[in-house]
Amino acid sequence: MDVIETKNLTKYYGKIKGVEDLTFSVKKGEIFGFLGPNGAGKTTTIRTLLGFLKPTRGEAYIFGKNIEEDIVEIKREVGYIPGDLNLYGHLTGKQFLDYFASLRDTDMSLLDGLLEIFEVPLERKIKGYSKGMKQKLGIIQAFMDDPDLVIMDEPTASLDPLLQQKFYEFLHKQKKKGKTQFFSSHILSEVDKICDRVGIIRDGKLVALEDIETLKSKKGKIIRLRIKEKPEAFKGPKDMNIKDGWIQFVASDDVDRWIKLLAKYTILDLEINEFSLEDIFIHYYKGET
Amino acid sequence: MNNIDPIRILRCKIALQTMKDYQKITIILTLLFMGIAVMYSSMYPAFKDVMADMVESGFAESFAAFRGSEDMASYVGFLNIELYQIFWLLIFGILVGFIAASLISKEIEAKTIDLFMSNPVSRKQIVFEKYLGLIPLILIINFATMITVYGVTLAVNEELNFENLFMTHIISIPYFMAVAGIGLVVSVIINEKMKASIIMIAVLVGMFVFESISLMIPDYESMGLISITHYFNPYDILKLGKVDVVGVIVLFVVIIECLIISMLYFEKCDIAVS
Repeated sequence: MDVIETKNLTKYYGKIKGVEDLTFSVKKGEIFGFLGPNGAGKTTTIRTLLGFLKPTRGEAYIFGKNIEEDIVEIKREVGYIPGDLNLYGHLTGKQFLDYFASLRDTDMSLLDGLLEIFEVPLERKIKGYSKGMKQKLGIIQAFMDDPDLVIMDEPTASLDPLLQQKFYEFLHKQKKKGKTQFFSSHILSEVDKICDRVGIIRDGKLVALEDIETLKSKKGKIIRLRIKEKPEAFKGPKDMNIKDGWIQFVASDDVDRWIKLLAKYTILDLEINEFSLEDIFIHYYKGET
Repeated sequence: MNNIDPIRILRCKIALQTMKDYQKITIILTLLFMGIAVMYSSMYPAFKDVMADMVESGFAESFAAFRGSEDMASYVGFLNIELYQIFWLLIFGILVGFIAASLISKEIEAKTIDLFMSNPVSRKQIVFEKYLGLIPLILIINFATMITVYGVTLAVNEELNFENLFMTHIISIPYFMAVAGIGLVVSVIINEKMKASIIMIAVLVGMFVFESISLMIPDYESMGLISITHYFNPYDILKLGKVDVVGVIVLFVVIIECLIISMLYFEKCDIAVS
């Protein structure tokens, strides 16, 4: 049995499309990356799965239970970190965690460990927290009762790099214990670092469902340069293009080769950029969107 | 649909938290209404003669929008108009409605509802417990006001039937719970806290106007039926010990209907963000 299973899950806000015909499944023990640009429908999908929005069409199951019938039972085993995290400002961190623990009504087996990794000023009122502190509290509450599935909507957005690293390590530990994680993000490098499998969503539709290795093969760097010699003289790949004196081409995995080639020219200017999600779409999924 | 373990519901954690959230406002309002009660009940001896003149000169007719205005010169009549009709029925009613209308809308507007609902709680349970959590505020202010009126009446040595006073405050409970119920309905439908509260005030003031018109113009008597204030008459209870049984039943029907409507509506609706 898959942990999450959706069949043609569709959500319209009136006439406006949220997501359409999503069919995918998340297996037990995997970190599933849910990748898409802003506004693609990631949050709509998540909020539908959690029962905040009623599906217009289609169905979804979590732990084999229908989200429209057993949502309360489902939530006993599911943790959640919202993308737009809003907490009760008038409570202290401790009061907030106590309140949520009382609603979960189960053993908070990971709480102490989490508080060690993600330090927050527990006695201070949440309205005095910084964005990062709030995010840490959001992570703590999602994992504190060690749920079998945690759904995260861009959870690393307000964490500094050091904490992001700690967070990834923590996710990895949870994965080793057989816990399932659903991780939405618009940052490609993050997803390919931690996820096993990736669903790519664009304009409300699932455009690809891939193993992370397949996605990695689609990575690349965009190299832009100006040289003193004639741009046409540059021996780049066939699909390079030249515009306003700038040469631009994609280097998939062999940066070294290109750097050595570049050394033969007189470089006036040079930019090397990571492939963005949009570039992936443009280069690989053009026909599918 | 949702199999809810009854024991989990009985723990009432949401209600408890709601109560704690309103702790400060409960204390402030309790002190405020105790103060108002002290002011009006102790003021009467000084106003006694003035009130008598007013009733004789016909000035009291300008209070015809309130029940029991003809009896304004007596202690009970004075208390009824100044304290119970204005500050109790109307002002405290508006305050209770204002707060109730923000019960759910507050969480939706602040978007705290998302994380809150990720806990294993059903939507019906959220609505019901939030409502439950508001009741202590009503009870505490209600009985604190009653004890204050009782104490000051003894101190100024005026005549008041204390059994009737007790009954008035007992019937106050379903009245304010019904007002809170209407507020709850507004709260689940309107997703902005201030908008919900203002609409609720408009509803209550509108009801009050209808009831006033029905009292002043005999031809329009039936207009008062749609007003919640029609079903709770402090003057009859305070002065005559007469409890409007049908009125009380109507109040309870309103409470139950509002709860059912709120729960069903909230169960079916999408929780919108932004």
